[in-house]
Amino acid sequence: MKKIRRPDVAVIGAGPAGLAAAIAAYRAGMEDVMLIERDMELGGILPQCIHDGFGSIVFKEALTGPQYAQRYIDELGGTDVEAKLNTLVLDISPKRRITAVNAREGIIDIQPKAIVLAMGCRERTRHQILLPGYRPAGVVNAGLAQRYINIEGLMPGRKMVILGSGDIGLIMARRVTLEGAEVAGVFELMDHPGGITRNVVQCLHDFDIPLHLSHTVTFIHGKKRVEGVSVAEVDSEFKPIKDTERFVPCDTLMLSVGLIPENEISKKAGVELDPVTGGPVVDERMGTSVPGMFSAGNVVNVFDLVDYVSRSAEDAGEGAAEYVRKPGRRKKPIRVVPGENVKYVVPQLVRDTGRDMSFYFRVERPQRSVAIQVLAGGEVLTRRKAKMVLPPEMIKADISPGDFGGRGKVGPISVEVVSDEE
Amino acid sequence: MVIGGGVIGCSIAREVTRYTPDVVILEKEADVADGTSKANNAEVHSGIGEKHGTLKQKLNVRGNRMYEEFVKGLGVDFKRQGLLIVITPRSLPDRVTGRLPALRRQLLKELVPRLILLSGKRKGIPGQRIVGREEIFRMEPNVTREAIVGVHDPTYGLVSPYKLTIALAEHAIINGAKVFLDTEVTGVNVEGGRVKGVVTDRGEISAPIVVNAAGVFADDVADMAGAGGFKIHPRKGATLIFDKETTTEYVRGSVAEAKLFVKKKSKGGGGMPTIEGNLQLGPTAIEVDDKNDTSISAGEIEEIFERFHYLLPDFPRRSVIAAFSGVRAPTTDEDFIIGPSDTAHGFVNVAGMQSPGLASAPAVAQMVLEILQDLGVPSEPRPGFDPVRPTPALFADQDRKGRERLIKEDRRHGHVICRCEQVTEADVVNAIHGIVPATNMDAVKRRTRAGMGRCHGGFCGNRVAAIIARELWMPVTAVTKDGGGSRLFAGETKHFLEEIG
Repeated sequence: MKKIRRPDVAVIGAGPAGLAAAIAAYRAGMEDVMLIERDMELGGILPQCIHDGFGSIVFKEALTGPQYAQRYIDELGGTDVEAKLNTLVLDISPKRRITAVNAREGIIDIQPKAIVLAMGCRERTRHQILLPGYRPAGVVNAGLAQRYINIEGLMPGRKMVILGSGDIGLIMARRVTLEGAEVAGVFELMDHPGGITRNVVQCLHDFDIPLHLSHTVTFIHGKKRVEGVSVAEVDSEFKPIKDTERFVPCDTLMLSVGLIPENEISKKAGVELDPVTGGPVVDERMGTSVPGMFSAGNVVNVFDLVDYVSRSAEDAGEGAAEYVRKPGRRKKPIRVVPGENVKYVVPQLVRDTGRDMSFYFRVERPQRSVAIQVLAGGEVLTRRKAKMVLPPEMIKADISPGDFGGRGKVGPISVEVVSDEE
Repeated sequence: MVIGGGVIGCSIAREVTRYTPDVVILEKEADVADGTSKANNAEVHSGIGEKHGTLKQKLNVRGNRMYEEFVKGLGVDFKRQGLLIVITPRSLPDRVTGRLPALRRQLLKELVPRLILLSGKRKGIPGQRIVGREEIFRMEPNVTREAIVGVHDPTYGLVSPYKLTIALAEHAIINGAKVFLDTEVTGVNVEGGRVKGVVTDRGEISAPIVVNAAGVFADDVADMAGAGGFKIHPRKGATLIFDKETTTEYVRGSVAEAKLFVKKKSKGGGGMPTIEGNLQLGPTAIEVDDKNDTSISAGEIEEIFERFHYLLPDFPRRSVIAAFSGVRAPTTDEDFIIGPSDTAHGFVNVAGMQSPGLASAPAVAQMVLEILQDLGVPSEPRPGFDPVRPTPALFADQDRKGRERLIKEDRRHGHVICRCEQVTEADVVNAIHGIVPATNMDAVKRRTRAGMGRCHGGFCGNRVAAIIARELWMPVTAVTKDGGGSRLFAGETKHFLEEIG
């Protein structure tokens, strides 16, 4: 039997969340931090995100993905964190026993005092949205296409149709255009774009790429390679309108139809998941339902900005360090519930009102001139105005202990977006 | 010579190698099992759904009985997990005592299960028994509460149809057979009433005996030999596949709803796990014009949801990970056509293959072997026949000790490239250099499950493509999804810009 490794904190995944969590745990005094990454390099998805726009909150400047990642990788280099690359976690038990595997060491047993889950998310596929048609080559997810082009130097096609106007889809529309391919159009099921406004302007408008809202792909043509797609307008119930169906020739259908938090091993570990976010139910330190198990970044919910991923991961890393130092009983949590025009809020629980914390949430529908309010037991704690809120854009509301105004017992917390028109 | 590398062609070829190594399989696609054999519901039927007295009913019952012996030495899993046939208020059409609810219920509860048992007995299916309502829910807690009574059919089994086909082809090869992939038959040479060989897109091959196991194209091939006279009318069947995780908590075995006195084109389908543990719902049955129509329409998806929503309410709709269609190859009279040609001596048709073709395969191979022996194939088993096909062990299928051993033997087993199905680099390399080599993405997927999980190649796609390119000394831009024109890439990025100026 090989020796069981017993680090203070093990972080699973070395993308932006894992890097920030590992560094935060180390800075919080953990001497033995292990970072486990299945890929051959650190940084997760960032190395393939060569466009800029990263870091506006954390570093107050516009960086590319590789630059943003490098800042953390450099910082990690100044710590004693042990990074295991090319290592896949096969299993985690509810008692925090990790089974991992790599080619150098074979199967490894790890029993850390605390775990941070930072596996990121994966792309939804054509089958999960039940896209009809044939199954030819040339149907590719936008994130994978980004990897092909930016890392491997491979072009997935010459003439593309993009389904879904999520951020990756928008960025890839611009990217393939710059590489000499043609984008016949971006088709979006909803009546508003899926990505943030900046990307709609900079990636589509600036390149004259048409965006067709309230449209979907109804059939994929081509037996061996994509030969085209049928597209149609949809009605208010998202059903295609038959008379509007038309054929668009293309050799590639690129999909940007949503991201799913990667929580298969969280489930094995017995972590309770939120059906709305697809991620663990967490408290203000990103602690999950299993004591000593924390989660960070897109595992919790799909953030829009990497800066928020890093920030939430720092909370998780510090939370893990705190648990290692004081693994005692946790306080009973207060529930955080979504109020008016709020789809969901992360964290879903608050255990300690005596510290600074951030609520991350998304609205259900676009709304102008609003007030964003955090309430406890029905009383408004904070209120701030916003000109416009949009579903793809994540909203952050910060709370400090003072906002609770020395209330001894705090009732259920809620976050709401209400009209502020005078 | 066998035309067609599907489950039927490969079963026949393997059977023949027990007597002579002199067998050739011709397959027009880049892999065996690349037609109907890869796209069905993996069921080894008992034969209860077939009309009594038909050839396919007899071969089905016989084939089912032969399965353990058939897969022996192949390294393929076969599980007799049984089928629960559920009788519901819909099991009889409305025209039967629709206006007498009490009588109707009585018929459903008492008569229908007995009719099924009787029919099974007549067809020679052993072990069927009636299952009460409570037991149904004990066996399958998620079946509709409308269930009245059930019949359990223990002989029904599951097998991976493409793994079986690949294994049969490989077993034939180690016993002397040759498999030519990417080789399409364009003509059959017949001289003086005797078959002489075939013309392919890669040249002519002579053979005194030609077996037509060309699936949906069997009528075209038969016509080439002037041995036709039947017509295959393609009928598509679509199936949805669900994530393993939701499957295991949802169904335990296979379930189907009994439907009596309705005109059936193919058995009604149901909900069943694959041998790997994913729930499947389907298949549909839709007549199509195109023998290559493996598309799935929005209507079919809705039809599957609607049809099985009744039998298995609240199944996990959101966890569909794949949808596929296969094309059945029925003839006009819906039965198998197996026999030597009167006009072209040495030419044997094995046509009209549709469900239960997979279940019948062992019996079909046996029957065809006897025909071939009349035509001159030796009748004495040869001593050199190797009963075991060597199978590379997959990392995911091993327990902890087995995994450690594999990594010790080959370090590349420590490098997991498909995390959903836990497929290692060594698994992929073994598939590429297999006895029937996997030279494209789908072929690797069929052997290793890389890309078959919930992310459907999102993580492993580029890794598998790179390994194929590396191992086969080809540029990655030449790697295909499924052979032919199914290239994954249009080119390299910078060359691409230069090319278009």
